[in-house]
Amino acid sequence: MDEAAFRHLYDRTARPLRAYLMRSCGDLALADDLLQETYLRMLRSGFEGEDDNHRKNYLYRIATNLLRDHFRRLKPESNEVPERDESPGHDEAVHLRSDVGGAMAELAPRDRQMLWLAYVEGASHQEIAKALGLRTASIRSMLFRARQRLAKQLQARGLRPALEVS
Amino acid sequence: MNSQSKPCPYEEAVTAAARSGFWSPELSAHRDSCLTCAEFTLVLAALAADAEELAAIDAPLPDPAPIWLRARLASRERDYHRATRAIVWVQRAAVGVVFGIGVAFAPGLWEKLSGAFSGLSFSFSAPDLPRAAGSPLLVLVVSILVLGGLALWELTAAQEN
Repeated sequence: MDEAAFRHLYDRTARPLRAYLMRSCGDLALADDLLQETYLRMLRSGFEGEDDNHRKNYLYRIATNLLRDHFRRLKPESNEVPERDESPGHDEAVHLRSDVGGAMAELAPRDRQMLWLAYVEGASHQEIAKALGLRTASIRSMLFRARQRLAKQLQARGLRPALEVS
Repeated sequence: MNSQSKPCPYEEAVTAAARSGFWSPELSAHRDSCLTCAEFTLVLAALAADAEELAAIDAPLPDPAPIWLRARLASRERDYHRATRAIVWVQRAAVGVVFGIGVAFAPGLWEKLSGAFSGLSFSFSAPDLPRAAGSPLLVLVVSILVLGGLALWELTAAQEN
């Protein structure tokens, strides 16, 4: 891969990848560090990939491994996204965002990653299994349970399907 | 609507509808009557909104140039180590051979060396010089010392680099 190809890949994938890292670890500075490390590892590995989708999946797999290493180093109780700011002046959009962030923070890191990969990135069960180091056959049921837990958290924050679906 | 959600066969159709924003009347009616699909729709919408917000964060992305540079440096370092690996092994082998020869000849070496040196005349008389300088044993010892020293020096220099 030459520098131009790398820049093209970076421009196309870095922002959504940072969003994934950010939502998984809850810290923008850390997400940026992990983002850089992800691309560095990809370049060092010499991975070329068959197409953009293949390269994207590879990046998410590296990022997920880095997140796993990060969470292993942390104590379980510190493995959470900070709670939302309750101070006045936050508009509805900010509250909705922090509500989703807060709800996600209540889930286990693996649930957060699984939900994000499945419903934001549109990854297949096989791709999720590869990224998370799980068996493909168990993804469907795990995803279903993770979804139930997130829905419960969202509903506890006053979010209802009728309000969200346009 | 059921009180307990269970996997629903409409899951894929609901995913596609939630992503496209187009709900057929039948699917819309199903969603409103199915707890699983209602929860699913909520999760999809919440994650989509969250992803959009996070992707639009004002903070600039890290500059990719240093990442590329670091990767290039790492690659060059790896190439250098790969290229010099054979040389380092030859140097190690040379040191090993020198050591082995030293050990093999050690018992009788001192005696022979003493004999060789005792045959040297320090009077610098011309007839003695060719005999001492041409002694095969001396040539071997001096060669081993010089080559062994060079190999050791090369080896330590390579490790420092």
